Amino acid sequence: MSRFTKIALIGLILFPFAFLLMLSVGRQWPYPAVFPEQWSLGNWQLVLVGSEGLGNSVLLSVLLSLSVATLSTGLSFWVSRHIAYHPKREAWLSLAYFPYVFAPVILAACLQFFFIVAGLYGTFGGVLLAQLFITFPYGVIFFSSFWNERLRSMEELVKTLGGSTLQAYAKVLVPVAKGALMTCFFQLFLISWFEYGLTNLIGVGKVPTLTLRVFQYVNEANIFLAALASCLLILPPVALLWLNRAVVFRERIAP
Amino acid sequence: MLDIKNINKKYKGEAVLQDLSFTLKAHEMLSILGRSGSGKTTLLKVLAGLETADRGQLLLDGQDLSPVPANQRGIVYLYQEALLFPHLDVFENVAFGLRLRHRPEAEIKKKVNALLQRLELPEQARKMPEQLSGGQRQRVAFGRALIIEPRVLLLDEPFGALDTETRRSMQQLLKRVSKDLGLTAIFVTHDLKEAMLMGDRLGMMQGGQLKIYGSRAEFIADESTGAREEARFWTDLHDLKLTK
Repeated sequence: MSRFTKIALIGLILFPFAFLLMLSVGRQWPYPAVFPEQWSLGNWQLVLVGSEGLGNSVLLSVLLSLSVATLSTGLSFWVSRHIAYHPKREAWLSLAYFPYVFAPVILAACLQFFFIVAGLYGTFGGVLLAQLFITFPYGVIFFSSFWNERLRSMEELVKTLGGSTLQAYAKVLVPVAKGALMTCFFQLFLISWFEYGLTNLIGVGKVPTLTLRVFQYVNEANIFLAALASCLLILPPVALLWLNRAVVFRERIAP
Repeated sequence: MLDIKNINKKYKGEAVLQDLSFTLKAHEMLSILGRSGSGKTTLLKVLAGLETADRGQLLLDGQDLSPVPANQRGIVYLYQEALLFPHLDVFENVAFGLRLRHRPEAEIKKKVNALLQRLELPEQARKMPEQLSGGQRQRVAFGRALIIEPRVLLLDEPFGALDTETRRSMQQLLKRVSKDLGLTAIFVTHDLKEAMLMGDRLGMMQGGQLKIYGSRAEFIADESTGAREEARFWTDLHDLKLTK
């Protein structure tokens, strides 16, 4: 690949991000100007520390996605093991596909009644639980191909060597599954981070995640704030992607 | 002493172990010969506590093992595959059982180094499992089992995946280590020569039933073990060579 092609490709990939960043610091952009007429960090100041409260949305989204990804990764890892070794494995696994039969919004509409009765409607806990309905089965499907007879034998071996079930998890299964756990965590974080339909319906606007804020600004035709919120939206996944790649790559090249 | 009385086990209505009884004296190695599907692995798993028997009694030094979970029996089950933990180096694989018991670091170092020396592995201590040969991996697996001084060691065709040469040297090593440490063990194999070489006593498993022989001569005399057939083959081959 020539140097020019490389630069062109990198430019092509980076262009949407650079464009969003430019929009977020722009003001007054009348047609046919190529660039905005005014440049200012005012939008950033306004939304991060001002009354827009986008800073709170960032924190809320990070907290929600970290909670959802952690809970569903751990839970699906444990449950998928039991399903994998169950005599009726296929039947249990087919249940995991059930939430994907519906669109998230339809699923939310079905769950709505139960969430209202349980007092979870419009709460952080409600949105977290609703997202688990999607991420947990995804995790179960993700890990279903991970378990095999070899791992089962290792687990049995730990027991005959004197280890408890907890020790088998802590000292063998989790370290062996480290790469898969990280990949699953990352994917579930992304699903939660960009989730819109369920969060909007169950949260009824009282749980304003960053994704909801982006849609809100787009609906208001506020391109500068929408661009700014989009910039914030892609930062944590990029950081997580870098971390994931760094750790998994380091593991793969380790002796 | 391990005392097994009338063990029965069924899978989906099919009897895998039928009224199986035998005793294993301390510091003795019992070789059990059997074809695939004869119930050898199920027997070992029942003894290790990884499977439960439908009926029968398991006594180890007078203690009823039935209510004792696998991790408290002191019976280690070794598979055909070494199953080394891929995230741990040789030293840590061998030390695994001691770490589970939270033994002091000084004791772990002393015991592991001594065992690695005995298993001719001192140079490999810091290597990862994928850097070892098949024979070395199996030796590490032995070390990992022996370090906790098991009451009984169960070996399920441990040399099945090794080439002939490595297999022979591993048989000699196990025989020597077993004698030095006074191991009580059950060695299961489908290889006639290996069974005869490894066991202080010999048994034959067929259709879920186990027959223990009083002596080597008795084992050889029984047509079903295949020992006579094997001997005839080699004699005929030898005679054929001499006449040509």
